Amino acid sequence: MTIDPITLTVVWNGLLSIAEEMGSTLRRTAFSEAVREGEDFSTGVFDAQARLVAQGNFTPGHLGSMPYVVKTVLEYFPADTLQPGDAILLNDSFLGSGHFPDCFLVSPSFLQDRIVGYVVTTAHHIDVGGAAPGSQRVHGVTEAFQEGLRILPVKLIRGGAFDQDLLRMILGNVRVPEKVEGDLRAQANATRAGALRLSTLFDEQGVDIVEAAHEAILDRSEQRMRELIGDIPDGRYAFEDQLDDYGPDTPPIIVAVDVTVAGDEVEVDFSRSSDQVPAALNSYINYTRAYTMFAVKVFCDALLPQNHGGMRPIRTVAREGSFFNPKFPASSGGRAAVQIRIFDAINGALSQALPHRGMGAFSHWSNPNIGGTDPETGKPFVMYDLGFGGYGGRADKDGAEGLAPVMNCRNIPVEVHETNTPVRIHRLELMADSGGAGKYRGGTGLRKDVELLAESAVMTGLGDRHVNPPFGIFGGKPGALAYTILNPNGNAQELGSKEVVNLMKGDVVSFQLSGAGGYGDPAERDPAKIKADLADGYVTPDGARNHYGYSSQETD
Amino acid sequence: MAFDIGGTFTDFVLAAKDAPPRFLKLPSTPDDPARAVINGFATLLDAAGIQGADLDAVLHATTVATNAIIERKGRPTALITTEGFRDVLIIGRQKRYETYDLYMDKPAPLAPRRAIFEVQERLDHHGHVIEPLDDASVDAAVRAVEAGGYESVAVALLHAYANPAHEQAVGRALAKRLPDIPVTLAASISPKFREYERTSTAVANAYVRPIVDKYVQRLEGALKGHGFQKSMFIMQSAGGLVSPEIAREQPVRIVESGPAAGVLLAAMVGAEEGADHVITFDMGGTTAKLGAVDNGEPAVTPTFEVDPVRYRPGSGLPINVPAVELLEIGAGGGSIARVDLGVIHVGPESAGADPGPICYGRGGIEATVTDANLALGYINPDFFNAGAMQLDRDAALDGIRRAVAEPLGLSVEEAAWGIHTVANGNMERAMRIVSVERGRDPRRYAIVAFGGAGPLHAARIAKSIGAPRVLAPFGAGVGSAIGLLQAAPKIESSITRVMALENGAETEIAAIYEELRKRADTDLARLGAGGSPIWTRYGYLRYRGQGYEIRATLPDGPIDATFPAAAAAAFHAAYEQAYGYHDEAAAIEAVDWHLVATLPQPAGALDLGWRAPEGAMPKPRMRPTWQPEAGGFVDTPIHDRQQLPAGAAVKGPAIIEDPESTLVVPGGMWATVTERGHILIDIGQMVADGSNAP
Repeated sequence: MTIDPITLTVVWNGLLSIAEEMGSTLRRTAFSEAVREGEDFSTGVFDAQARLVAQGNFTPGHLGSMPYVVKTVLEYFPADTLQPGDAILLNDSFLGSGHFPDCFLVSPSFLQDRIVGYVVTTAHHIDVGGAAPGSQRVHGVTEAFQEGLRILPVKLIRGGAFDQDLLRMILGNVRVPEKVEGDLRAQANATRAGALRLSTLFDEQGVDIVEAAHEAILDRSEQRMRELIGDIPDGRYAFEDQLDDYGPDTPPIIVAVDVTVAGDEVEVDFSRSSDQVPAALNSYINYTRAYTMFAVKVFCDALLPQNHGGMRPIRTVAREGSFFNPKFPASSGGRAAVQIRIFDAINGALSQALPHRGMGAFSHWSNPNIGGTDPETGKPFVMYDLGFGGYGGRADKDGAEGLAPVMNCRNIPVEVHETNTPVRIHRLELMADSGGAGKYRGGTGLRKDVELLAESAVMTGLGDRHVNPPFGIFGGKPGALAYTILNPNGNAQELGSKEVVNLMKGDVVSFQLSGAGGYGDPAERDPAKIKADLADGYVTPDGARNHYGYSSQETD
Repeated sequence: MAFDIGGTFTDFVLAAKDAPPRFLKLPSTPDDPARAVINGFATLLDAAGIQGADLDAVLHATTVATNAIIERKGRPTALITTEGFRDVLIIGRQKRYETYDLYMDKPAPLAPRRAIFEVQERLDHHGHVIEPLDDASVDAAVRAVEAGGYESVAVALLHAYANPAHEQAVGRALAKRLPDIPVTLAASISPKFREYERTSTAVANAYVRPIVDKYVQRLEGALKGHGFQKSMFIMQSAGGLVSPEIAREQPVRIVESGPAAGVLLAAMVGAEEGADHVITFDMGGTTAKLGAVDNGEPAVTPTFEVDPVRYRPGSGLPINVPAVELLEIGAGGGSIARVDLGVIHVGPESAGADPGPICYGRGGIEATVTDANLALGYINPDFFNAGAMQLDRDAALDGIRRAVAEPLGLSVEEAAWGIHTVANGNMERAMRIVSVERGRDPRRYAIVAFGGAGPLHAARIAKSIGAPRVLAPFGAGVGSAIGLLQAAPKIESSITRVMALENGAETEIAAIYEELRKRADTDLARLGAGGSPIWTRYGYLRYRGQGYEIRATLPDGPIDATFPAAAAAAFHAAYEQAYGYHDEAAAIEAVDWHLVATLPQPAGALDLGWRAPEGAMPKPRMRPTWQPEAGGFVDTPIHDRQQLPAGAAVKGPAIIEDPESTLVVPGGMWATVTERGHILIDIGQMVADGSNAP
C-alpha cells in the first residue's frame, strides 16, 4: 500500500508527539532527582513487528538498546500472552542499556483485541541495590552480581495493576524504595498514556495506513542516512585514546577505534581496544552501539529522525570479551563514564574525514554518588550528582562553556542538593587556564567542592582524565588534567578518579574536571579573543603568556 | 484608553460607560515606542472630541521589556553573588536543547563573566547564617561595579530566598556609594529556590530596568502634557495591572504584558458566551501563542522562558515570576514550507512581515502558510488588511509548485492543502501540550481564536483535538487592547518555604502569610488604585519526594488548626485534575506560597458593546475555495462579517471576512453570530437553535 505525503506527515508527526508526551508525563510525575532534574530517561514507539519508529529527544544513552528491547521482551512474552495494560520490566545490563540502574518498561498498545504496537520508557533509577549507594561503584566490583538487582524480563504490571509480590521484592532490595517506586509508577503513567494515544492514532488513521507509514518512515530515514554517509570520503580512519584506569593502581584502558566508510555504509570497530576489566566500567555492546549511533549522527545530520531505519547503515563492532563488548557477568555499573570517550574516539577518527565537523575532546565529566544516613530524617540518602565542563574547540569557534557533554542531562541545582541531602557545596565554578589552547580554545573545566554534613558516608568517584588529558586536534593543545582532592583546604589528599572513600562529617571533596581540547594552532588565535578571555577571567595573564605567548603590556 | 504596543502595530481602544468603543491601529515605532502611543492618543481624543483630562484611566501593555532582552539592548549590568558561585549564571542548567548538535551555543547571558563579582558570605537552606557577610568583600565588589561603569546591578546570593538579610546589606552598600544605579535584589523579585533560575530573573530585571524606567517616564510625561491627570496602569505578565512605579522597579514583571492582555480578552469572550474553560489561540505572522483559561481564570505559571531559540523548551532565559501560561510555536502566516524526506515541514523559520510571504510581492521567495491559504481560496487577494495590500495569487501558486508540489508529485492545490494541514498539525500538537498533557480535557474547552490567522485554522484544529466550540471574538484585531480594559490591578507576592503540609504546620503557615501580607501592603500603597482588595492564597505543592509542584488555591479565612487538612484537600483535587489520580495516603510538601491582592477595575464597567447592523443578512458573494471533504474546489459563500446581524447562522463551507482576519467555516459546521457580535462555530453538526439556519 502506498501512502500520500500529507497523511504520512500527519502520522509521522503523531508518532513523534506520542514519544514526546510520554517523556513529559514521566518527568512531571517522577520522584528521583535523576529523572526529574537530570532528565536521564528516554521513550520510544514501536510497530507491531517490534521496530523502533519514533524516539523522544531525550538522553541518547538508550539508543543502542531501545531498537532491540521489544524483540527481547517478545522472546520472553510472545505477543499472544500480552493483555491490554500489561507492562514488562527489565534492567539486565546485556539485554538493556548496559547497567542495572536503567529500567525499561514495555507495554503493548491494543486496538480492540489486536496489538498495533509497543511503547517503551527507560529511566535511570537512583539505586538498584548492590555494593554501594547509587549502584555505580566501579572499584572492587568485579562481577555483575555485586551490582544489585538484575531483572530479566518480568511482567510487573498485569492489566494495569502492579504485581505486588514483584514490587515488594524489588523495593526490598533497593536503598531508596520510595523513589524507586515513585519512578516506576511514573514510568507506568507514561507507558499507559503512550499506549492509549498510539491506539487512538491507529483508530483514526486506519491500521493499514499507519503500517504503511511505518515502512515509509524507516525506509526514508535509512535512505537519508545512506546519502549522508555516502558524502563522507571512503576510507579507514583510526584513532586511539586512553581511559586513565579502572580504579586505583590499575593500568589504562586503550580506547581504539577503526572507522571504515565504504559507500553508503559505515563500520565502527572497537576490537583493538583493551580486554574487559574486573571493575564496573565495561561498556556492553548495546551501550557501545548507542554512542556510536550518536557520534555518526552528530557527524551526519543532527536533526535526522531517530528510528530503526536510520541505524541500519551503521555497524558497531567490538571483539567479544573486549572492553566494548564484554561477556556477562562483566560488571558495568559505572559505564556512563565511558560514553564521552566513545564519542571522543570516533570524533578523533571522523575529524580526519570531516574536519569542519570535528572538535577537540570534551572536558570529561564527573558522576559521583555519596550515600549515608540523613541526620534530619534518620533515613538513607543518595546524592547523585552530575558535573559538566566545556566542549572542545570547534572548526569555527571556541568550545561551549559548561554544557552537558554527549549524554544530555540537566545539572542538579546547588539549592536542591542542599535542601534534599545533608551536603554543603562550597564552590561551583569554571577554572581559569584549564581549556586547551588553540586557534579555537577548548571550554574550561568545572570545579565543585562538596562537604558532608552527615556523620559518615561512602563516596563513589566516577571521573577520568586525571592522567590522560582531553586531546586537541589539528594542532590544538590538550586541556588541563582533572583532579579529585579530599579536603583541599586542610590536609589535602589527592584521590583517584574512580576511588571509593569513606567520608566523615566535615570532609570536603573537590571535583576538578579537566579542560576540553583545543582546535587548531594556538599561534593562529585572534588576539582579540585572548583579550576577551582575559577580561572574562577564562584565561589569566600567566596563562595567556604560557599558552599563547601573549603579553597584555606589549599590545596595549 | 487602553493601548497595546506590539512588534508591528500599536492598538488602541477608547471606551466609555455610555458610548460605543473606538478602535485604532497604528504602525509601531520601535525606535521610540512612545511616539506611536502619543500619536494615537491624540488622534483618538480628537475623534471623540474629549480632552486628556476627561480620561479616568490609561491602561497599557508593551513589548519594550521583552524586546530589550531579545535584541540584547539593555544597559550594562553587573551581578554580585556568593563567593564560589560566580559562574551559576554562565553554567545554567547545561542541557542542550538540540541533543545531536554539538556545534550549538547557549544564549549569551545578560551579564558577561567579567561583570560578575563575588562577596564572602553563606547561608544554609533554612536561611541560617553559616558565614557572615564580609564587609571588605562587599566594599571591593561595590568598587568593581563603579570601576566597570555599570548602569544597573543585580544581587543574587545563595539561599537568600530563605533569608534576604545579606542581599539587603549588599544593596545598602551599593546605594550608599552609587546612589544613581538601580539595584535589583533577587530575593525581592523571586524568593524561590533553584539558584540559576532566580539569578537569571534578577539579572533580566536589572538589565531592562534603565530602559523601562526611561520609557515609562517619557510616556507619563507625554500623557501629562496632553492633560491626562489620573492613574496609568501597566499590564503584568500574569494578567494584573500595576502602577508605573512598580513596573519601573520590577520591569521583569511586564515581559509578557501584551500576551497576558490577549488571554484576558479570551477569558472575557468565554465568560460572555458561557465558556468557563477556554484555550486561547492567537496566530499571527510569525508565531502561534496558546494559553488557557480554567474556571474563568487565566492559567498562570510561576516561571517561563524569554527569548527561546527556535521555540525549543530549555533554550531561553528562565524568568521566575508569574506569567500567563503561554506556549509559543513557530507557526504563523509567514512560516515557511519545505520538503524533506518526502514529507512537508512548516516553520519554525518564518518570512516574517518583511519580505513576507511570496504573495505580498515584496521579494519573498519561499512558500508560506499565507501563500497556501491564498492558493486555497481562503484569503481574499483584494481584501487583505481591509484592502490595504493586493496579494499576488499566481506568484503564490508558482512558489508552492516549486517548493512542495513538484518535489512530492502533487498538484499545486494538494500541496497547498498539505501546507495548511501540516501547519494545523503543528498547532494541534501545541494544543495537545496545553490541554491533555496539562490535565485539561479538550472536550470541556472552547477555543477562542484571534490574531490575523487564528480564525483561518481554528475550526479544523478544534475538531482534531475534540474541542466542541470555536469563538472568534468581535474586535479581535485589537484584542489585547480590549483585554486590558478587563484587567484589574493585582499584587502578587510569593516566597519559598519547603515544609510538610501536616497538622501543626498552621503556625508557620500563618507566619508566612503574615509576611506576604506585609509585602503586599507595601506594594498596594504604591499601586495608586482605589477600592479594597480581594485576597487569594495559592500554594505550589507536591507529594513528598517529587520535584515538580502544582498550584492549588488554598482556603480563605483564618489560618487555624483546620487549615493544613483543607489545603491538602485542595492539593489532592488539583493533582487529580492534572494527572487523573491522587494519593490520599502520601505525604504532601509545600514549596512556594503566594498571596494575590486583586482590586476593582480602575475604569469601572464600560460599554465595549458591539452594534449589530440593521436589517437582514445580505446575500453572500461566491468564490471557489478548496474543500477536501468535497474533493476539490467548491464555489463557497463569502460573508462580510461587519454586515452579519446577531443570530445570523452560516453553514459551512463558508468564509467570513473581517478587515483584520478571515474565518474559515469548514463543511459540516455552523457558525452563528452571537448577541455580542462574537462568532461561534459549533464543531458538531448543528447549532443549538437550528431555526436560524438559512
